[in-house]
Amino acid sequence: MTSKENNKEILNAIEVKNISKKFTIPHDKVSTLKGAFVNLFKKNNSEIFYALSDVSFEIKKGEFFGIIGRNGSGKSTLLKILAGIYRPNKGVVKINGRISPFLELGIGFNPELSGRDNVYLNATVLGLTKKEIDRKFDSIVAFSELERFIDQKLKNYSSGMNVRLAFSVAIHANRDILLMDEVLAVGDANFQSKCLAEFAHYKEMGKTVVLVTHDISTVQRYCDRAMLVRNGRIEMIGNPEEVGNEYIYQNMSDEEKRIYSEEKRKINQAEEDLASLKGQALENELKRIEDEKIKLEEEKKNKIAEITEVKFLDKDGKEKNVFETGEDITIRVYFKKRKNIDKLNFGIALFNQENNCIFGTNTFINKINTSQMLKNGFFNINYKGVSLRTNSYYIQAGIWGDIVTVNYDFLSKSKIFKVFTKDQNIGIININHSWN
Amino acid sequence: MIKRHENYRELVLRLAKTDFKLRYHGSALGYLWAILKPLLMFTVLNFVFSSLFNFRNSGTPYYPLELITAILLFQFFSEGTTSGMNSLVSKAQLVTKIYVPRWTIVLGSTVNALFVFCMNLIVLAVFLVAYSKLPSLLGVVMFLVYSMLLYVLIVSFSLITAPLFVRFRDLSMIWEILLSVLMYAAPIVYPLSMIPEKFRHLVLINPLSFIIHFAKQALISNDFTKFSHFAILFLGVASIATVSFLIFKKSERSVAELI
Repeated sequence: MTSKENNKEILNAIEVKNISKKFTIPHDKVSTLKGAFVNLFKKNNSEIFYALSDVSFEIKKGEFFGIIGRNGSGKSTLLKILAGIYRPNKGVVKINGRISPFLELGIGFNPELSGRDNVYLNATVLGLTKKEIDRKFDSIVAFSELERFIDQKLKNYSSGMNVRLAFSVAIHANRDILLMDEVLAVGDANFQSKCLAEFAHYKEMGKTVVLVTHDISTVQRYCDRAMLVRNGRIEMIGNPEEVGNEYIYQNMSDEEKRIYSEEKRKINQAEEDLASLKGQALENELKRIEDEKIKLEEEKKNKIAEITEVKFLDKDGKEKNVFETGEDITIRVYFKKRKNIDKLNFGIALFNQENNCIFGTNTFINKINTSQMLKNGFFNINYKGVSLRTNSYYIQAGIWGDIVTVNYDFLSKSKIFKVFTKDQNIGIININHSWN
Repeated sequence: MIKRHENYRELVLRLAKTDFKLRYHGSALGYLWAILKPLLMFTVLNFVFSSLFNFRNSGTPYYPLELITAILLFQFFSEGTTSGMNSLVSKAQLVTKIYVPRWTIVLGSTVNALFVFCMNLIVLAVFLVAYSKLPSLLGVVMFLVYSMLLYVLIVSFSLITAPLFVRFRDLSMIWEILLSVLMYAAPIVYPLSMIPEKFRHLVLINPLSFIIHFAKQALISNDFTKFSHFAILFLGVASIATVSFLIFKKSERSVAELI
């Protein structure tokens, strides 16, 4: 090997070349010998699924490298391949330095053993020798703040104590390359801050850290470089700021598709349910639907006004369900009126997922003349540069008579839109701010 | 290949120790259980076959001694293979959440049975003294050699069945039944001399029978097999071990995905 090649190898902690991983998913899983025997005579029913296809990248020594992607994008499979748990079907992984091979805290922990025994067991599994553990034992216990409980059985520990002990062992494993799945970042706020402080400490020591998560803000805050994985391929690799933003945009369009297909699925399901009925059951069902229709019609006749449809529009009038903070949102509500009246009161309220009313108003409060809206058959409410942050929002729409108490129609939290936020601030709304 | 874990020996021992503690701790009699089990089995079998069926007078004056020796060896085999087979499934977390060489998990589970067997040797020594039958040095050495060969068989069997058990979960039921068949197929409750001459070599083809029979012959009757026969056994066990390791190397690759 020439010195040049040698040099290059030392610079890279991890080299991944053309890795592919496929899974065979059987339609009905056989887990007994009897089943396997019976299956010999059946046609083989299985699907091949590529969790990763032709993935190549390099991670430099001392780098903080973030891998982001949605659930099922292949990021955990990739991590398992780096850890050596899965073998790739194709390609090579080169690792220079001692790597931490674990993806979860407290592997091997047994509730029937004492804290002390569990420390020894877990640390041995992580690759420490008995001598090393003996030497580090006091420091492990001190970091976990469990001195008084260390000889009690683990089953008497609270879950918080459990995680503290596991984390304490993990950080004493002392590896050059650390793989961290997002599971490492769970726990209460206090524990999380300890975790993050430890991250910063690793950075100081010049260790290589591979962090897998779908929390963009962590990646943008801590990582030197980031990689976006999607459907088993590398979508983007580079500056964490840019990669994070790309991920947000993808999420937005994916979310649109998901909402759309969810609605379609519901309709298909209803049709299938109907098609699967036969004979008497079918007649009964048809009769029930017919009855319901008649009942609805009658109810409608009694209604003075009725909401028929709600749409979310962006500033160009295009229908959307996912928006970005700062965008203009228009909510359009279509309605029918059955009696000739010249005054109606329209109202819209927004709720977030935690069921807090974010904002609500109506045309009566705002002293708006609604006669033009009555002619159009719909009304719009335009939110300018919406200051909502990442969340799902439900809307409530209502039509009242002249006085708020006479309720003509009311649509409770049935329609949802989502908002994504690009920046790293926290909270539920954006407040326009400046510093000096 | 990348080295991810270095101290295999300590890992295997730690896993075995943990198993041992978990198995015999929570009970009042503690470690005594490990000894009590074969003793109880001995008492029952000895009563049935020695007093009721009168095997004592079938040309084996030390029938109880032979029985306890055979029981200890068979217990070793059945416990070792059962926990070896279950090892990967029962320690699934070590397979799917971390990389440790998978053979350490299998080996760790069988070492536990080895611990118990070694403790039971004290029981055997007590029996030998009680029957004032002191074995020759060569007899003891050969007995230990046979025990080691048996252990190699246990490990080989476990290496083959542990990944198989991940795929086929009814294997443990099948093995349980086969074990009770094996117990009566091997010369454990009956001496080999009770088998008609022409069928004896058929019984001895089974390495388990061979080991149990000649281990107790060496220890108690100071009687040894021909060197050529022993050499065949040795080579047989060695090749089984090699084949099982090769099979394991291949089958462990997909274990993490299937478990």
